Amino acid sequence: MSRLHPYTLLAIAGALPAFAWILPAPSGGTWTAAVALVLTLTPGESPGLTGTGASSGWRARLIVLRTAVVTAAPFWLFLLLLHDVPTTIAIGLRITTMVASFVWLVAALAPARLVEAMVASGWSASVAYLLAATLSAVPMLKARAQRIVEAQRCRGLSPRGGVAARMRALRALALPLVLSALHEVDERALALETRGLVPGIRRTPLAPPPDSAVERAARWVLLVACLFALVRRFTVPGVS
Amino acid sequence: MRSLLLDRASFWYPATESPTLRDVSLDVAQGEVVALVGALGAGASTLLLLAADLAPRVTGGRLAGSVARRDRSGIVLPTPWTQVSGMAFTVWDEIAFGPANLAWPAHEIARQVDRALEQLQLAPLASRDPATLSGGELQRVIIAAILAMDPGLVLFDEPAAELDADGAGILWRLIRLLAREGKAVLLATSALDALPDVADRVVWLEGGAIRAVGTPDLLADVATCDAGLGTSIATVWRAAGLPAPYPLTVAQAVRGWR
Repeated sequence: MSRLHPYTLLAIAGALPAFAWILPAPSGGTWTAAVALVLTLTPGESPGLTGTGASSGWRARLIVLRTAVVTAAPFWLFLLLLHDVPTTIAIGLRITTMVASFVWLVAALAPARLVEAMVASGWSASVAYLLAATLSAVPMLKARAQRIVEAQRCRGLSPRGGVAARMRALRALALPLVLSALHEVDERALALETRGLVPGIRRTPLAPPPDSAVERAARWVLLVACLFALVRRFTVPGVS
Repeated sequence: MRSLLLDRASFWYPATESPTLRDVSLDVAQGEVVALVGALGAGASTLLLLAADLAPRVTGGRLAGSVARRDRSGIVLPTPWTQVSGMAFTVWDEIAFGPANLAWPAHEIARQVDRALEQLQLAPLASRDPATLSGGELQRVIIAAILAMDPGLVLFDEPAAELDADGAGILWRLIRLLAREGKAVLLATSALDALPDVADRVVWLEGGAIRAVGTPDLLADVATCDAGLGTSIATVWRAAGLPAPYPLTVAQAVRGWR
């Protein structure tokens, strides 16, 4: 899957949540959530959320799946507190689809390939970089958080134990994480500027990913199918 | 010919009342290596940002006086890990990131990247993932990435901070080579022992202002040694209670001793 054109990956990751919200609940959400969760088990390309996405091993794929499930779980809890069971299932499946699609996209799509694809199709390099940086921000912050946890452990802070201990650990993690990220933004802005990434530039594509006619057609099919499902939902009685 | 000219330049960072740089006048000619030395907070990094047209344009703040640049500049910042594009699978791609942003044709990008790889002796690392490099290797990659953009004015902020002795040696020889090619080089460094062989002129900054300008012999001056800015040999000579003039290098010390 990761060798697909970046636009195709984006189209799949966008279409699944769209179908989840358009198709009737809970069957629509069940299908889309199942597909999205299965996708997380496909080999990754970018370091991804887990730092292991580039590995094709099953362990790495299971970590991506676990990330999706663990991220979606709190939403189910909150929904259960606020709604009845049928509503919780209906919305929970939709949210699970959104979360799993995004987690899969981060694991499958290397930001560099997205930049190359966007530049090759005429986008400004700075806009492409902005989008790609959004995808790469999650694994970078995760790696930084891990380093901060290790540093705090060296200074005697334990991130394990009861709720109070974990809250103390969270504060000791969050503050340096946010402050160092903000500090790095400044330096990164200077570095990117000096390396020619300024608004409005037209970058030379170095290795644009191949985009086959089949993939282009598949993207159109996904778009048309979404629109068809949307129209059907609002025009056919009994579909909700 | 002047590549950079600062005329009575003062600079204030946003939300500060006192200037980080005060009335700095300095020029750097093509083919010249000028070194900025000073204590922490002396203003060397800010001066480089000013020369690179990053301050106040990107950093914000206020500039008084004027800064004129004849050539396109490239700056190597002190922390290599914040300068990685994050958009490259290999070292080759990382170095090509800047030239590609300049919209050069692909063959010219390849020529400049290969040349920079050779200059920094990075060819064996060309296919490595930048995320797997050591700090010193990454620093050399970032230097190569800036040189591949072929700037006429090259600015270095503590370029040897992450390098081992071999890497630093490659860097200092490369800086002299850049000067021979006609590039103007302005560097801020605390590696004072390298400067007698590298720099044509040394600028001593103190509290955001220029305290003295001279040849590298300035690093053996009594005043610079008093400020902790002498070369190791000059500092040891002074600490031993031997009389001025202090030697700048080991060779001078040997001659003076005999």
